[in-house]
Amino acid sequence: MTGLTFDVVPLLPALLPILGVVGVLLADLVTPTLRRGPYAVAAAAALGAAVAAAPGTRMPAGSARSTLCMDDGLATTLERVSTPRCFWTADSLTSTLQLAACLAAVVCIALAWPRASAPGAPPGHAREPVEATLLLTALSGTVVVAASRDVGTWLVALELATLPIVVLVALGGSRAAVAGAVQLLVTSLVSFALLTLGVALWFLATGSPFLTADAAGAVAGAGPGDTARPLLSLAVVIILAGLGFKLSLAPFHAWTPTAYAGSRTAVATFLATVSKVAALAGLLVVLRAVAVLGTPGLLAVGVLAVLSMTLGNVVALRQDDVVRLLAWSTVAQAGWVVLPLVSVSGLGVRASAGYLLTYVVATLVAFAVVAGTVREVGPQGRRLGAYAALWQRRPWQAAALALALTSLAGLPPGVVGLVGKVVALRPVVAQDWLWLAVLAAANAVLGVAVYLRWLRPVLTSAGADGPRTGGDPGTPDPEAPPRERPVAVTVALLATTAVLVAVSVQPDLLLGPLGR
Amino acid sequence: MALTLLLLVPLVGAVVLLAAPPPTPARPGHRDAPIALATAGLAALLAVAVAIARPVVDAPWIRSLGVRWHFAVDGVSVALVLLTALLGVVVVLHTIVGPPPVGGSRSTLLGCVLLVEAGALATFLARDAVLFFLAFEVVLVPMWVLIRRFGDPHAADAVRADAAGRFVFFTVLGSTLMLLGILLLTHSTGTSDLAALTAARGAGLSTAVQATIAALLVGGLAIKVPLWPVHTWLPPAHTVAPTAGSVLLAAVLLKMGSYGIVRLAALPLPDGMALLAPGLAVLGVVGILWGGLACLVERDLKRLIAYSSVAHMGFVVLAIASGSPTGVQAALFGNVAHGIVSALLFLVVGDLKEQWGSADLTVARAALRDRSPRFGLALVMGLAAALGLPGLVSFWGEFLALYAAWSPGPGRPVGLLRACVVLGAVGLALAAAYALRVARIVWAGEGGDPAADPVRDLHSVRWGLVAAMLAAMVVLGLVPHLLLRLSAPDVEALVALVAR
Repeated sequence: MTGLTFDVVPLLPALLPILGVVGVLLADLVTPTLRRGPYAVAAAAALGAAVAAAPGTRMPAGSARSTLCMDDGLATTLERVSTPRCFWTADSLTSTLQLAACLAAVVCIALAWPRASAPGAPPGHAREPVEATLLLTALSGTVVVAASRDVGTWLVALELATLPIVVLVALGGSRAAVAGAVQLLVTSLVSFALLTLGVALWFLATGSPFLTADAAGAVAGAGPGDTARPLLSLAVVIILAGLGFKLSLAPFHAWTPTAYAGSRTAVATFLATVSKVAALAGLLVVLRAVAVLGTPGLLAVGVLAVLSMTLGNVVALRQDDVVRLLAWSTVAQAGWVVLPLVSVSGLGVRASAGYLLTYVVATLVAFAVVAGTVREVGPQGRRLGAYAALWQRRPWQAAALALALTSLAGLPPGVVGLVGKVVALRPVVAQDWLWLAVLAAANAVLGVAVYLRWLRPVLTSAGADGPRTGGDPGTPDPEAPPRERPVAVTVALLATTAVLVAVSVQPDLLLGPLGR
Repeated sequence: MALTLLLLVPLVGAVVLLAAPPPTPARPGHRDAPIALATAGLAALLAVAVAIARPVVDAPWIRSLGVRWHFAVDGVSVALVLLTALLGVVVVLHTIVGPPPVGGSRSTLLGCVLLVEAGALATFLARDAVLFFLAFEVVLVPMWVLIRRFGDPHAADAVRADAAGRFVFFTVLGSTLMLLGILLLTHSTGTSDLAALTAARGAGLSTAVQATIAALLVGGLAIKVPLWPVHTWLPPAHTVAPTAGSVLLAAVLLKMGSYGIVRLAALPLPDGMALLAPGLAVLGVVGILWGGLACLVERDLKRLIAYSSVAHMGFVVLAIASGSPTGVQAALFGNVAHGIVSALLFLVVGDLKEQWGSADLTVARAALRDRSPRFGLALVMGLAAALGLPGLVSFWGEFLALYAAWSPGPGRPVGLLRACVVLGAVGLALAAAYALRVARIVWAGEGGDPAADPVRDLHSVRWGLVAAMLAAMVVLGLVPHLLLRLSAPDVEALVALVAR
């Protein structure tokens, strides 16, 4: 018929979340008042997707699971080159990113775990099925974008990973939530426009709808008078700008604090982890394709990276709201994530993915602690003061938070963050851009200041130094109804902390699947 | 096995102590003292065993970065390993017999001390450049906690925040710069194995590349040493830190910097170091003079000893800059000597500050000579060592440093180094002046108040610790070969390799 091969196993990481969506919608059709059921289905679907993606991480370098490949008949009608092409290719790096996205989504679902009944909500209007559907849709978009190898799928999947989040933020209902959602929406539209433009330029330059090394390689033979090469460079820079919005890279970061602060903690977690995986996976698809050209370092990436780090760290130093602090820390960390990409090479791509994974694991732990605290003490759990003397009140939680913050700062005992720093700086040094590396080193100091500012109250004894501001944050607001921490949140915290400890002892668990 | 145990024992002890629940009135935490003491003692025994048996452990760790779990001990590091492990016991004992800390539970304090010990041991034992960096960073957070949380309760919160912050930010900047140097080194040579790097002695690297790498490494490590003008974090950190923190900071942490310069820069990159040597020597001498002059006018006794550390480390850097086997020997000897002497002085001064409530020299107090003879003896001996009196351990470090710089290795600017030697000798005179100033005020009680409440003299465990360190100071001062023989064969072999 169409001449398209079809293989279901590699597609499972994307299909299972979609099946989950169908399951949730069907269940909602039958019993529209379910609250926990949809979340259970969503968690199962995301876990299933993770299991499906896991075998791919063990593949040796150079091999990949591909499907939806065209045979020659179809190929020749679409493009100049006639070797078979695949719309879906997942090698170990792609599978690792998919796995990370799925597991991070599971954690987000656990953090958003609903109560058995919502006091005051009218019966028959459960919002949970909608939320579960949106989370799963965004997850499937993320999984697809990592493996997509053609411009159409890539573009649609990126939007699929973004737009549900806009709705999720807006579902918060408060003014802040709407403000955040509107900013996010406007940003995504601008980003989409840029990406479309970039993709169009790509097609113009290569004549191929595929985002593969072969397609980019066709440009390599172009003569000096040919416009293909500059067009391709322009395409890459514009795509970088478009994805810069999604990655929260300065100067495209403005939506980040508003959206984080306006949304529920679990949604902010999703924005900080799964969405970032989607954005970086999209960027890596393009950069791996152009890596064959042996381009000199991308100055634009270096400038954006340093700008992001500096701005993010400096503003984070002034935040007293921990979610806003984490939002600005995302901006700073985005700089570290793209820093290795100044070297458009396998080394740079692996380093960038590796740093992203360390960031995702540490951020998940930090958000899990915040989500638990917010569930317990209400909105004031987002104040920095709520973490004073946590060490004395909740030693294990404090230890998890300390590990997460030191990982983000890149200091032992968060060894994985320290290794991440080594990983991120290696390609820059290999590129011989010492000035950039020195600027990054100065930013490492700023980053330490940011996270120690949060770590200090955590470790301080109650009443040990000076008056504390904002009353006693340790006890819940007497006017608020007594709250409890759902078991799911505790489990999520324990599981993410266990992962963080494991990868701190043996960072290879995280970096190994990305290849050497 | 013994090596991995040596690293794991303090680490596990620290984790156990840190994870211990905070003591409640019903259940005061008495368990921490035996755990900490057993851990530190076991680590010291293992360190001695490791120093004798010289085992090697080499296993893959982070394959994707090519980092190996590679630890070993040789002549360059053996003395520092022993010093660290033995001082660990001293500090733990000293903390246990002292009053309970103000900023938090004692078990947290002891946990941080053991964590610093584990990190320092790993740094001295690492045989892989990236592993060295990872180990180097381990000490940061526990030391920050020691200064920030257990710092001088008389100091304002902002002062402690400033001191702890400066310590962390300076050292993180230094170690990240060092990381850049290490990455550039491993990228351009293709290996991060320190033995291979030393054996290659920079072969295949142009002088410019060697100089760039060496500049990054030395620039980063100089902050830790600390070398003038990046020493400004040290005096506040020492002033605020509790006695345990001060002793570890002066005796162990600073040595990680000078040891790192020898291990990472001086041995693997001889040509690069030759270019940097004149600058290094000048900065070292400026540090000697600067520290000495600051000591002449400083009012806070702890801060004064911190400045004298800057001066003493200046001699170590001068020795490294000389580029001869004697210079490396002098640097290593100076490291250990300063480790013992500064640990002794900080123990004594820390105890005095504990009783006085401050370490301000302008407050009129009773003379130590009359009322607290053991304190007086320890202080005078420590000051005598600090001014480089022959017969005490510091003399050899400083004398050898000046000797090595007077007849430097090949390719070094003889005239400049000799000028540095002359100025360094002036620095020794300054050291004599400030040592006598302190002795006059504190020991002889000049301008003091004989009627003031005397301090309770050293007794029992703390007196034992101080006496042991005095003994070490005298023995190594009289028989320096005990220490020199440990490092001589390896240093001569390594430097002969380097000098071609």
